[in-house]
Amino acid sequence: MTETRSPLVEMRDISKHFGGIQAVRDVSLDLYPGEVVGILGHNGAGKSCLMRVLSGAMAPSAGEIFVDGAKVAFTNPLDARHCGIETIYQTLALADHLDAPANLFLGRELKTRFGNLDDRRMAAEAKTVLKRLNPNFTNHTAPVASMSGGQRQVIAIARAIYFDVKILIMDEPTAALGPSETEMVAELITKLRAEGIGIFLVCHDMHDVFRLCDRVVVMNNGRKVGQHRIEEVTKDDVLSLIIRGELPADWTARNAA
Amino acid sequence: MTEIRNEARGNAFFLDLSAALRQRGDLLQRLSAVATLIALVIAFSMVNGTFLSTNNAMTILLQTAAIGLLGIGMTVVIITGGIDLSVGSVLALAGVTAGLLVKAGLPVSIGFAGGLIVGTLCGLVNGLVVTKLKIAPFIATLGMMLIARGIALQITGASPVSGLGDEFGRLGNGALFRIIAMQPNGFPRVVFAGIPYPAILLIVVAVAIAYLLHRRTTGRHVYAVGSNEEAARLSGVAVDRTKLFAYALSGFMAGLAGIVLMSRLVTAQPSEGVMSELDAIAAAVIGGASLMGGVGTISGTMIGAFIIGILRNGLNMGGVSAFIQQIVIGFVVIGAVWVDQLRHRKGS
Ligand SMILES: Nc1ncnc2c1ncn2[C@@H]1O[C@H](COP(=O)(O)OP(=O)(O)OP(=O)(O)O)[C@@H](O)[C@H]1O
Ligand SMILES: [Mg+2]
Repeated sequence: MTETRSPLVEMRDISKHFGGIQAVRDVSLDLYPGEVVGILGHNGAGKSCLMRVLSGAMAPSAGEIFVDGAKVAFTNPLDARHCGIETIYQTLALADHLDAPANLFLGRELKTRFGNLDDRRMAAEAKTVLKRLNPNFTNHTAPVASMSGGQRQVIAIARAIYFDVKILIMDEPTAALGPSETEMVAELITKLRAEGIGIFLVCHDMHDVFRLCDRVVVMNNGRKVGQHRIEEVTKDDVLSLIIRGELPADWTARNAA
Repeated sequence: MTEIRNEARGNAFFLDLSAALRQRGDLLQRLSAVATLIALVIAFSMVNGTFLSTNNAMTILLQTAAIGLLGIGMTVVIITGGIDLSVGSVLALAGVTAGLLVKAGLPVSIGFAGGLIVGTLCGLVNGLVVTKLKIAPFIATLGMMLIARGIALQITGASPVSGLGDEFGRLGNGALFRIIAMQPNGFPRVVFAGIPYPAILLIVVAVAIAYLLHRRTTGRHVYAVGSNEEAARLSGVAVDRTKLFAYALSGFMAGLAGIVLMSRLVTAQPSEGVMSELDAIAAAVIGGASLMGGVGTISGTMIGAFIIGILRNGLNMGGVSAFIQQIVIGFVVIGAVWVDQLRHRKGS
């Protein structure tokens, strides 16, 4: 069982409020190597806030985070990256006027011996990794503002997997993707999982959740209302958790029956 | 299967094509700015024969130097999505500081260094107010515009500081390769006016900052911050430090422009540079910089600065009043931005 191993990440009693708005309330979560955990919930449930706390983009109002058993306190996204946490943000976080390679390496630019930007090497590297995700991806020198939503999303994904990643946060990574690109991301998730990378997958697509995730965590109004191994629940159970915040009254673990 | 692959290749072809067209769009904009410049030169030289003389070219270089220096700093700030309204006042404060230090008996080099330090400090304060107090750049630098001008007037008693010596005037009036021949009547005659030091300074600074913007990480981050500040932050860019750098650089450039101008006059004028922030902004905007941030180049700003410089010079030589000049430049700014917007509307 995975539970005998030590978790990659442990979040304990995380809360986040903005003035009077309580976006996340006392949520505890863990993630094991080679595990895909789906984070589900209605719009505004607090999924992105919880993920942003883990990626160092947002300071929690309360709670603790442990990575590999050690307590961490991220003051910015770079801190989290140094712990091997990479994030595909729901907003994609791309600089519109820069091209794909510049965005891929933003904040971690490759440099020549003299400290100049090594644009040629960045372009070549970007080409390789983008090609892997989407063979049709060719406009490397255009500013990303002029790209389609799907192409932009592919750049955001490429940026997260290019570097040494141990913990991958994917906040609705396929929202703008077509069927074949979504398939590509699904394959990618399976592959990364086999490599022992832990993945948080925020996703609204039940089909994807059920075929990709090992566990699901459901949030409702900032609270964690359920955490189940995927075999224990059906789509209807999960929908009930998302919408009403509780399981059907007669629920028992499906695989136990 | 092959069909799909062919289609993919077809797509790839179109994407390449559209990228090429977009780059040609940028090229067109640059060419249209250069064409404007050339048209101006031709028009003015037809009206006035001496416009095209080497000496007048050097005068234009000299007059453009100040706008150009301010414009370079302004461009970097504008690319980060900010604006620096204080450069005209900081120019005056820096120049006056240099003048007063020299008047107090310090060597000229120390006086100039003092001016540059004061300019940079003003810029740093702008940057701190913008990043730490989170005050909008327009307001922050408007405040500094009043403060710096006030200090410059206060410490000089609002009167020019003169009698600063020949050494003080060297930077603004000297030139490289100046050839002077002695005439038989004993008077010297200038054969070649030489390349004015301010022009050399402008070129060196422009090349250095263009290099910084395009080849260094700092420059890349300047564009990223102006393009999408949140994305830059999430990508690990030190957003505050990048902005601080931009405002400090703009302050330094204002200081440099200040000592060049005061040296040219061999007088420290506390009222120098009024409204020159507007010239600097106009140069950047004519050169294609976007006040929304993320867009702008040094080469564009240089062209913009020369368009303004040549307009001023040509209209001056044509005997057009300063009031009419303002009107003309006002139209040019609006026209340049309008053309730029047309291009973008077509592009999208
Ligand atoms: N920066 C912010 N300032 C104030 N309130 C915020 C901020 N970010 C999020 N919120 C609030 O926190 C709550 C949770 O938002 P969050 O983005 O985490 O939802 P989500 O579960 O990701 O929803 P979605 O499925 O729509 O992406 C919302 O009510 C939102 O309005
Ligand atoms: Mg969200």
